[in-house]
Amino acid sequence: MPGPIVLLRRRVPAPVWLLLPAALVLVPLFGYPMYQLGLLSVLDFGQPQASGGVPATLAGLANYTQLLGDRQFWDVLLQTLVFAGGCVLATLAVGGALAVLLTRAGRRSRLFLMFAALGAWAAPAMTGSTVWMFLLDTNSGLVNEILGTTGHNWMYDKWPAFVIVGAVVVWHSFPFVMITLYAGIQAIPVSVLEAAKLDGASAFATARLVLLPMLRPLLVIVVIQSVIWDFKVFTQIYVMTTGGGIAGQNLVLNVYAYQQAFASSDYSLGAAIGVLMTLILLAVTALYIRALRRSGEEL
Amino acid sequence: MKPNRLANSLVVAAGLVTVFPLYWMVLSALKPDGELTSADPRPWTWAPTLDNFRDALGVSGFGRYFLNSLLVAVVVVLLSAGVAFLAAVALTRFRFRFRTTVLVMFLVAQMVPIEALTIPLFFLVRDLGTVAPGLGLSSLGSLMLVNLAFSLPFAIWMLRGFVAAVPESLEEAARLDGASRFTVLWRIVFPLVAPGLAATSVFSFITSWNDFVFAKTLILDTDHQTLPAALLVFFKPDENDWGGIMAASTLMTLPVLLFFVLVQRHLVSGLGGAVKD
Amino acid sequence: MKLSRSVSRPLRRAALVALSGIVLAACAPGTASTTGTADKGSGTLKVWLYDEANRAPKEKVVAAAVADFKAAHPGSDVQVGYIPTDAGPRAEKMKGAFNDPASAPDVVEFGNTDLFGYVAAGGLADLTADLSGWAEGKDLPQDLRDTATVDGKAYGLPWWIAVRSLYYRTDVFTELGLTPPTSYDGLLDAAKKVRAGKPDLLGIAVGGKYTFGALPFVWANGGDLAAQQNGVYAATVNAAGAQAGVKAYTDLFADGICPAQRCADLTGGKTVEAFASGTAGMAILPNSSRSAVDAGAVKGKYAVVPLPGVAAGSIAPAFSGGNDLGIMKSSQHRSLAVDFLTTLGGKKHQLALFDAMGTLPTLASARAEVSARDPWLKPFTDTIAAGTKFVPKHPGWAKIDAQAVVPTMLQKVITGKADVGAATAEAATAMNAALGAK
Repeated sequence: MPGPIVLLRRRVPAPVWLLLPAALVLVPLFGYPMYQLGLLSVLDFGQPQASGGVPATLAGLANYTQLLGDRQFWDVLLQTLVFAGGCVLATLAVGGALAVLLTRAGRRSRLFLMFAALGAWAAPAMTGSTVWMFLLDTNSGLVNEILGTTGHNWMYDKWPAFVIVGAVVVWHSFPFVMITLYAGIQAIPVSVLEAAKLDGASAFATARLVLLPMLRPLLVIVVIQSVIWDFKVFTQIYVMTTGGGIAGQNLVLNVYAYQQAFASSDYSLGAAIGVLMTLILLAVTALYIRALRRSGEEL
Repeated sequence: MKPNRLANSLVVAAGLVTVFPLYWMVLSALKPDGELTSADPRPWTWAPTLDNFRDALGVSGFGRYFLNSLLVAVVVVLLSAGVAFLAAVALTRFRFRFRTTVLVMFLVAQMVPIEALTIPLFFLVRDLGTVAPGLGLSSLGSLMLVNLAFSLPFAIWMLRGFVAAVPESLEEAARLDGASRFTVLWRIVFPLVAPGLAATSVFSFITSWNDFVFAKTLILDTDHQTLPAALLVFFKPDENDWGGIMAASTLMTLPVLLFFVLVQRHLVSGLGGAVKD
Repeated sequence: MKLSRSVSRPLRRAALVALSGIVLAACAPGTASTTGTADKGSGTLKVWLYDEANRAPKEKVVAAAVADFKAAHPGSDVQVGYIPTDAGPRAEKMKGAFNDPASAPDVVEFGNTDLFGYVAAGGLADLTADLSGWAEGKDLPQDLRDTATVDGKAYGLPWWIAVRSLYYRTDVFTELGLTPPTSYDGLLDAAKKVRAGKPDLLGIAVGGKYTFGALPFVWANGGDLAAQQNGVYAATVNAAGAQAGVKAYTDLFADGICPAQRCADLTGGKTVEAFASGTAGMAILPNSSRSAVDAGAVKGKYAVVPLPGVAAGSIAPAFSGGNDLGIMKSSQHRSLAVDFLTTLGGKKHQLALFDAMGTLPTLASARAEVSARDPWLKPFTDTIAAGTKFVPKHPGWAKIDAQAVVPTMLQKVITGKADVGAATAEAATAMNAALGAK
């Protein structure tokens, strides 16, 4: 008769064993805090409660109604969606274009751009934002000095400020897209590309009809990741617009959450915003995946 | 493909734009304080000084913070590679009922803004510390565990594609030859996925190395601080020490670049593997 | 032998019930374990002080205080840790201390505006008896003592203060034949003349985000952000006096003085940089900015006068910024902590701190000594003597500060997005929400 361990192995399917280490780490460190997050959002929980001096009381949906009833929340939400959307599109465009260009460039220029991109990826978000803030400084920035526009404040108007911060976000994120797509293109067998050339396809047509479909699985990963990261942008906006811009005109959700809740230890309000942000991202991603499913892609 | 003149110049131009802020960072680190705050910034300096680097390295405990960050990052990289690899195999090689749900949950895990999770995590780690001394507050173990947890979802998602790219026929052939499941994973799948592992380990390294949110929440004593904390010393409420900030940032960026150099050979070929889905 | 189905199902159900029980038990969010205060006679005191980029001078002062303490208490020791100065990370450390008393220090240095939040969180110990029994305590001026008092109880000892005064360019003023202003109208006039005479200079460097640069104008006009009646705070930023003050400050953002484009998003720190780099004729800066200004292009070319109020010869009330020393409620060495606190906060070491870092002592006689020694400090000590003011002494101030209510209000007026009445009304609503709240 087989021993108990073999019995156990037969009773418990293999994938469970393989997933066990991940589950052991993720369930307590992720699952539990996320559950707590939902709990905190329906309580009245700030520092006095956390220190144990004051008991936590049930607030029900009060935190949510406060948020959803705040006109600023909806303005910030809309701005965040537009800003993140713009960043994702720009990152994809820049990363993709550069990936294609890399395949046609010489070895030395290719290495140069790769290492520059790796440097941009490696630099802490705070550093990149600070440097650009320096360069764009109204009174003593290099950009103004070169363009002769000393005294021009790039962050003065809302959308120009968003474009500039967006450019910095793209600077930080295009390396991931560029290197991933470049590697993907490199992995396409040369024979396929040569066949296309023999058939008389132009570079553009090759890109659209041959490269794009073969890169689709990579593109899915890259788009979803970019959407998630750009929606949660914090450091670049916080540093470059010094906390949300003039009269809060450049707030995005994560900075708004910090300003309204975390900075003053209002943990339950912060939890509510966190829950809402997750749900919104989930909705956006679900729409994207549904669009993919419809076009025949499998997740 | 023969190098194309136009492509070359565009790539070099893009490289220059990309590297310029990094150049400015290093330049600012080398500039004396007077030049940094002057109204006439110049993209060069005739009086480079190592004072800012001296200040940065002189931050009490800088060496210790550096080692702490390095330790945490290396452990996280190794563990996340292993754990994510196993999970990725489970999610690609087997079809089971909740497969898509688990996959989507790993995606959702990346959507939660981590600031919101800091208070629950704080109390969790504190309670964990009473059960497992190496994993409590102000311990590197807790930082490793938390960073591991938060880099796993992305690592699993990325590795999925690479594992899927390994033809099942290879595994079947090995199994027919009598190899155990473990041997198949270790001898056949793992080496083929190694490039993908290099790619995800770079990401885990960067995330853990630059992590600031968890470090500031969980590490309350100075002995176990990580490197981003050293950067903070230069941020004062009214007068930031820009030279110090830039020098400390340069020192922070260098190890990551070094790590890149080490794995870059595997990196590009690794990322390409995901396309053969 | 397979486990039969009929056995495994109830087993599975029992496991589920047990699991949900455990989950429900873990339901409540974590809280700090409340430990009572103890008063161990000896041991090691844990002290948290503000970090500096160049910490050596401060460390020397502290070491001297530690030596004095150890001489008085043989067998006890002091372990000093330095926490980041920047508001965000410092708040995290303090949160950590409140949430985990085991990691908390005994003695802690904190900003005086943080006091109310800490008291509301139940983190600080009541020091009223200890401070009133302290000999040197009588030397502490009443208005400074008030900044650390909540509901009649003292929770901190003001350790050092900094106030702001008007820095101006002596070379520019001489060239244009100007004299340092002694009234608001004089200030406005001088600023306009500076920019008119030297178009690439700002008349005065003021910032839309510079709350503590704007408040003196509000106070000089008899207004205030909020007022307390029967122990309840209500916003008064939309009352006549405050509105006049806001208008006075925002009028400085005209094209002829400090154009909105350049100045609307300046913080206090940026105005320091602007003045130090020589791009401004005047600026409202604290005494602690001395080293930064001297390191810039304007060294030797500037002087300081008190910021004028409305009437000629008056001084606008300044905000008394500064740090206090306090004792955590969770401390297990209360008497020792009090002794160390009064040692470090005593006259001898306050003077040493001034020598090391240029911060103004809080004890009146120490301050007199210091200003006698260094005439450069006269405008600042004059400003303190004229009376300083403070922010609403309410935990809600942390929320008002975090939400940037005052900067938003100022910026709306400066950029023309709202007039003074509308902007102050909005600010009042936000403040009342924070002040009336928990």
